[in-house]
Formats: sequence, structure tokens, C-alpha cells
Amino acid sequence: MDIFSFVNFFLLPGVVQGSIYALGAIGITLIYAIMRYGHFAHGDLATFGAFTALFVAGLLGLSPYAALPVAVVVAALLAIAIDWLFYAHLRRMPKIITTIASFGVALMLRSVVQIIWGVDTTSYTRGISRPENWFGIRVKPHELVTLLVVIGLVIALHLFLTRNKWGKAMRAMSDNPDLALLSGIDNNKVIAMTWVIAGGLCAASGFFLGLNTELRSLMGWNILLPTFAAAILGGVGRIEGAIVGGLVVGVTEELSVLVIPSEYKMLSSFAILLVVLLLRPTGLFRGKIL
Amino acid sequence: MKLKSLGLAAWLLGTCALATPALAQVNIGLLAGITGGAAAMAPEIIKSYEFAVKQVNDQGGILNGQKLVGNVADSGCKPQVAADAATKLVNVSRVIGIAGPMCSGALLAAANSATIPAGVLLISPAATSPEITTLKDNDLVFRTVPSDEYQGQALARTLLSRGTQTVAVSFINNDYGKGIAAAFKKEFEAKGGKITAFAGHEESKSSYRSDLAELAKGGADTLVLLDYGDTSGLTILREAIENGFFKNFVGAEGMKTSAPIKAFGAENLSTFIASAPIPAKSQALDIFNAAFSKAGGDVNGSYVAPSFDAVFLLALAIEKAGGDKTKLPQSLRAVTSGKGEPIMPGEWKKAKELIAAGKEIDYKGASGSVNFDERGDVPGSYGLFKVSGSDYEVITEMK
Repeated sequence: MDIFSFVNFFLLPGVVQGSIYALGAIGITLIYAIMRYGHFAHGDLATFGAFTALFVAGLLGLSPYAALPVAVVVAALLAIAIDWLFYAHLRRMPKIITTIASFGVALMLRSVVQIIWGVDTTSYTRGISRPENWFGIRVKPHELVTLLVVIGLVIALHLFLTRNKWGKAMRAMSDNPDLALLSGIDNNKVIAMTWVIAGGLCAASGFFLGLNTELRSLMGWNILLPTFAAAILGGVGRIEGAIVGGLVVGVTEELSVLVIPSEYKMLSSFAILLVVLLLRPTGLFRGKIL
Repeated sequence: MKLKSLGLAAWLLGTCALATPALAQVNIGLLAGITGGAAAMAPEIIKSYEFAVKQVNDQGGILNGQKLVGNVADSGCKPQVAADAATKLVNVSRVIGIAGPMCSGALLAAANSATIPAGVLLISPAATSPEITTLKDNDLVFRTVPSDEYQGQALARTLLSRGTQTVAVSFINNDYGKGIAAAFKKEFEAKGGKITAFAGHEESKSSYRSDLAELAKGGADTLVLLDYGDTSGLTILREAIENGFFKNFVGAEGMKTSAPIKAFGAENLSTFIASAPIPAKSQALDIFNAAFSKAGGDVNGSYVAPSFDAVFLLALAIEKAGGDKTKLPQSLRAVTSGKGEPIMPGEWKKAKELIAAGKEIDYKGASGSVNFDERGDVPGSYGLFKVSGSDYEVITEMK
């Protein structure tokens, strides 16, 4: 196999897929860092975001890219609403209860999507878009956009967490919630902020998943496992870990076809998860121990 | 002590079950994959199920004027969901027969875990895996749709006769995909064709470019894609066309859905052909089509004719057996033996009178003769389709 087909058909799809996982994994890791539970409704929130973009694009006749910001805002608001409705009163209880509640929320979200938009597979744009050839490297325009937007979002998030007052408050609360409370940080505001960021990124991951393939009601649920694998691989609670984890999982899945039969492709994210939990339970970037 | 009270409870439960009085209604289960991989086909299938139930009830009901009640349940096109749904239908809704489920994996799980142990008759209108033929089913599992054993072979012969000698095969890694792929491979290679790559794939991934790159290595320019056109089949087809991995694409009935046409447009699918069972032209089919479209159904929907037949046959078998669950399989065979007065789809009243008079009847199914072989399968006829406008058009019949 020459280097171009390796890059075109194995590495590049892996990186695009990985950056979609990374967007979801950042949300999962952020929620774990601040609130200390695994959020299983994340995949279905991504589905909701993707379909919202479809709805907005169809309603206003916009290009799907223009609908993305709207979907991000709607999903962020929905995330706050879900927290307020279902998770807020469980906050003082053992975290496992909230984790299980998030499963219930996942089922509800999926049903809402299925009721509103049906179960048929759809897509943002009709037709076939053939990749452009850049000196042998074949990239599709929407793959390029995916990568650029993901990089942009990650830089913005990094600046927010290190420069902004609220970002610093979030990090403080992640380190020690009681101490943060004593220093005058409003926990509820930080939690709402977390949901805005996690929900917004989640909608973006769903949107890009839909843009690169198709939209279907189980799309988010299907990427939940690799997304969790990415968050755990990077070290739960570490943003940079989630990004690296997402890329590693995405690329490994695509490369796995070279060594194992393709019907076991799914296995690779399970395998990564198992190996990490066995050898380095804190993840690559020394996250908070699960 | 605990054991004793458990035993007592079980005994009480048992007597309750035995003492259930004869109800003024007859319950049957209507299983369909309302959610899951084949969900796009479910609405029309359920419409067809319920249309059959309505025809029975409109023409005097079942047995002594009792009402036939169809309990719709979701089999999710997944083994565990289907097993749960079938268990609930058998134990809670107390059905004596089930039409469905649609997917082969779902059927195997539902049959093995719920319906066969409970002695409930099951007739599937859409599960096509060859695995089901060899199921140890105590003569309780039937199909009104032909097995993919035939379709895989017919597709292989048709491709060879059209001059396609070298192909790569990609199939979905479930009972449906594995079954039809194995049947295709055997016949294609036996008749001198060459398969350069033969690989399965998981349904729910979002990128298959690496799979396609591996498949394309052997140099074949035709991809035989045995998958569902609403899920991974659609993604694979898109990525294969976009990246130029293959020139020609061949699917089976799972791929023959409207999703690829809607997503890519007919202009991009000029090299895509798909096989599917075609109901043999018959008077019975014409009668069904006219009645079903009048009732608001889509006669071109996948599996609508076999779905109607499944429910109608179930009702005929119940009528013939006088509601006795243990006699259902032999009654089903009796009303499809090929001997006796022919009954057309929807002729419930006539059938009921003939059964009451002790006469032999033979149901002529909308989907074909439905004369089951000893394994509970029916023979099939297939057509090869191409995309034309926003729909599919038959190119040739397959032998």
C-alpha cells in the first residue's frame, strides 16, 4: 500500500472521526470533572443537536453550516433544562443515581427525536460530493471544515478555561468543590456553565457526524462507547486528554481493519478501553481516578 | 420455608393460568422492527398486518363471532429486544400466534426464547436468513417470504449470466447478512465466478473507508453489498461512490429502499442494481393490491403482501383449529395444502363458512402460493431492479 492510500483511506477518516469523538469526549470529561458522574445521555443529545440543525436549515432554507450555531445554542439550553429537570435534585445523592438517570434521559431524548423527525435516515445535503485532490491527498470540503471548526472550538475552550474568570472558577470547582464554594464561587452558575459548554460541543459533534455520514435516530447512541473510551483513555477530567483520546480511538478504529477482520472493528474501542483500565486507570494525562 | 412459599406461589399462579376463562376475543401478536435498522419498512408492514385483522373482524370475526385482536409490539430488529417483546406477548398478552418479526436475528431469538417453548405459532413475513430453515422449531415457525438461500443463489447466477465474473463482497455482520452472503459465495464460486474479497462489517460505524480500501485491493470493480439501505449500507455506498473504490454496485432486497435514491439522487446510482423478491403476478395479488391501496396502504412497500398473508393465515389456522393452540401448525398446513376450494386474500367470510361446513380450503396468498415445505419455507421468485426516477424498475427476472 502506498503512502497516499494509507493517508486517504485510513489516517484521514480516522482523524475526522476522532475529532468528532473528541468533541463529545470533552463534554463527558468536563461533566465528570465538575459533577463527578458519567453522562450517558450525551450521545442522544448529539443526535438532538444534529436534527435541530437539519430542522433549522430546512425551515430557513439556510446552508447546514449556518444552522450549526443555532443548533449549538438550542442544545446548550436543552442541556441546562435537562439538568434542572432531572439531575439537580439528585445532586446530593450518590452519583450512581444520576448516572442511571442519564440513561433514562437518553431514552427520552431518542424517543423525542424519533417522534419529531421519524426513524428514516436523512442527510443535510442531497447528492454525492467527491473529494478534492490536493497533491495526492484527497479531502472533502466538509472534512476540512470539520477539522478546522474542531480546532477552533478547542482553542476557544482552552482560552476560556485559562483566561476567563468563569473558566477559572470551573477549574477551581473541578479541583475541590467545597473549597471553591468557600471562596465565593457560585456552584450553580458553574454547573450551568458546564452544561452550556458540554451541550454546545455535543451538538457540534452530532452535526459533524451527520455532515460526514447521515442523520439517523441512533447515530449518537452508536458513538457513545467510543466517546467514553476516548474520555477514559485521555484521563477523565482532562480536556487535552479527551482530545488526544478521541484522535487515538478514531485512528485506531480505522487502522484496526489492517490487522483484524473488519467485522471486529467495533472491538477496537472496547480493547482500548480495557487495556487502559488495566494498565493505566488514570489515563494518558493522569485524570481523576474513577 | 422460603422454598415452600415459592412453590405455593407458583402453584397458585399455575391454577390462575389454567382457570383463565374463555375470552370474547382472540389475541395474536404483531411483531415488527418499529425501531432499529429496518425501521423504515415497519409502518407499511404494520398497516398491512392491521388491514388483515380488520378484514377478519369486518366479516364476522373469528370462531364464534369473537374479535381478533392484534397486539403490536416492537422487535427492534435486535435479538434481545425481540425476545423481550415476544415473551411479553406470550406471557402477558396471552397470544396464541404471532406474525413477525421482520429481522432474522430477531426471529431466531424470539423463537428460541419465547414462542417455541410456549408452543406459539410464528409466521414471519420478512425474516429471510437461511438459518431459520434449520431451526429446531417443532413445526412452529413458518415464513411467507422465501429464504435467502434461494435469493443468494439466484443473484449469483444472474450476475454471472450478465457477464460479471469478479466481485468483492461486503455483508452486514448479522444473521441476515451472513446467511445471504454465504449462499451467494457458494453458488458464485461453484459456477466459476471469482470473489476477490469477502468481509463482514458492523452496522453502526460512521466510517467504512478503511473497510472499502481493504475490499478494493483485490482489483474487482463490482461490489456486492448485502446490507440495509437505511443504515450502514447507505454509508458504505456513499463512501464507495465518493472515493471511487468500485464502479458497479449490487445489492439484495435490504438495499432496495428509497433511502439511497433520496440521499444521492438517481443520477449517481446509474450503476447500482439490487435483487428483491417479487410477488408472482396472480389474481390473488391483484385483489390484495386493489383492497390495500383503497384502505390507504402503499402496495409498493417492502413485504406488505407477505405481511398480509402472515396475519390472514394465522387467522385461518386459528379458525380451522377451533382456537386450539396445539392444533395450529397442522391447521396451517391444512389451509395451504394446495387442495380444496381456493380462498383469495380477504375472502374471510367464504373461508369461515367452508371451514364450518367441514370442507377443505386452500389459501392463495397475495405473495405467492404459500404452500409451505416441510421446513415451513415457501419458494420464491426474484427480480433484478435498477434505479429509475425516484423508484426502482425491474430489469429482468432472476432464475
